[in-house]
Amino acid sequence: MPEPWELGAEEIARRVAARELSAAEVVDSALARTARVEPLVGAYLAVYDEEARERAAELDRRLAAGERAGRLAGVPVALKDNLNLAGKPLTCGSRILAGYVAPYTATAVERLLAAGAVVLGRANMDEFAMGSSTENSAYRRTRNPWDLARVPGGSSGGPAAAVAAGSAPLGFGSDTGGSVRQPAAMCGVVGVKPTWGRVSRHGLVAFASSTDQIGPLARGVRDAALALAVTAGPDPRDSTCAARPAEDYLESIEEGVRGLRVGVLREIDAAGLGAAARANWRAALELLARAGAEPVEVSAPSVSAAIAVYYVIATSEASANLARFDGVRYGRRAADAESLLDLYLRSRSEGFGTEVKRRIMLGTFALSSGYYEAYYGRARGVLEGMRRQVEAAFERVDLLATPTAPTGAFALGEKVDDPLAMYLSDAFTTPASLLGLPAVAVPSGFDEEGLPLSLQLMGRPFDEATVLRAARAFEREAGWRVAPGFRGAAAAPAG
Amino acid sequence: MALNLDEVRKIASLARLRLSPEEERLFAGQLGDVVDYIDQLARYESADPPAAVALAPEADDIPGPSMPRELFLANAPSALDGFLLVPVVKGGGDA
Repeated sequence: MPEPWELGAEEIARRVAARELSAAEVVDSALARTARVEPLVGAYLAVYDEEARERAAELDRRLAAGERAGRLAGVPVALKDNLNLAGKPLTCGSRILAGYVAPYTATAVERLLAAGAVVLGRANMDEFAMGSSTENSAYRRTRNPWDLARVPGGSSGGPAAAVAAGSAPLGFGSDTGGSVRQPAAMCGVVGVKPTWGRVSRHGLVAFASSTDQIGPLARGVRDAALALAVTAGPDPRDSTCAARPAEDYLESIEEGVRGLRVGVLREIDAAGLGAAARANWRAALELLARAGAEPVEVSAPSVSAAIAVYYVIATSEASANLARFDGVRYGRRAADAESLLDLYLRSRSEGFGTEVKRRIMLGTFALSSGYYEAYYGRARGVLEGMRRQVEAAFERVDLLATPTAPTGAFALGEKVDDPLAMYLSDAFTTPASLLGLPAVAVPSGFDEEGLPLSLQLMGRPFDEATVLRAARAFEREAGWRVAPGFRGAAAAPAG
Repeated sequence: MALNLDEVRKIASLARLRLSPEEERLFAGQLGDVVDYIDQLARYESADPPAAVALAPEADDIPGPSMPRELFLANAPSALDGFLLVPVVKGGGDA
């Protein structure tokens, strides 16, 4: 009989609702597992032991009193440190927000709580979600549960590692250029980037507002679909959140891929895939075909320019969004500033880390007089070309399939001094971000070193149902089990 | 193209950042590499006119409760009598 920490979110909620298992038993098991794996992985910036136990006890009391159980009753969740939870610290992995306490709760988090979820802790991230390895956190390193000498991916490396290591069945992150999908790929779990506007961004600290989306990480597609269904839907507090009601993605999720046309981009072959990732990608396509999908070759040449477009548009937006951190209203304030300008300069220079400064600089450059047309203007133009090409492809296919990341997890420290090399690991995830499309990363096997690889499925706007249904069919065929070996640990964590 | 140090300083000033000499040298090289990479966008430009930017629907402007002042000021680095406290506004421009 599996321990409660080994169960998925859907199964936990089912058992808690049926009173076969108490929320307290689930949370105790998750906290005990966390205590065993956290010294190896370092997924969290804070674990809320006491509050999680209190909340579980409260849920159990309410269920005993006859209250209806929510869809995530008793399910522990690891939250990325850029999602506001009222009364709790929030730092975005940055020194500039040290000491900040969230004054309100993000809509997506409110919905998780209303469904009965229990927040287990605040999980690590690259500073302001800028990075692909979680090494840009100002606070700590997070290690990949499959191999402790490797990165967990980023920027949602904390929640991804927490889910993979068995600490929490569910994590929530934000994905601006791949920050849920890429760490999901590297940690061997499922990650979803919903359509832009599907999930409210109210209470998510902004990085690049035209692509930021909140999305779930889970050990299986069904759990990710359930978590998305709970959090999606209109929100009057985010005017960019779509008015269309949320769907229940579990209703059609077992319907398989028979008859679905899966687009294979011709441009993938030139995209710098490692040999193992290429072989795995081919095998994944064959597996989808065996399950009944029809592969269709399509082309969208501008997709090859996605990283260049992304690093202009996202950094431009970041340079504007992060202007609010100036030492005046919240966050770090430099001591003994001589003037208001001195206060801005010193607070920002002391508070931001190197990658954040680099991106603010790049965005400021792209928007500056004399360079605006050549960089920001041109990037917008290429993006529109990409949009037309991908829309044309979606007239012929139901889904686009790509690898999620060009390689398995890389070594800690390997790319920290080479920002461009780090940016290139976003090659396959940035197109869906720029175009606002839903995308799911689903484990697809291993590379030659035993590290997880991942398939990415993208769909039409708001067609999460088809993307999740195909990911579920793939997962069923692949027979994947999230079972990291903690390579490099003196001993694998017991239980 | 590597950016020269004057260009890096100018961008830093616009970005309200004060960089150390080491950071200036580091960013001159790294940002130059990234800008070189971004210059490939010229190859993808099309003659098509860019599509109009779709605007999010505007919400009705209905007054509602906002965050209580005390809650907001609880995160302020410095406050006095319900207001944010900042240094004297003087000088400036010489980032």
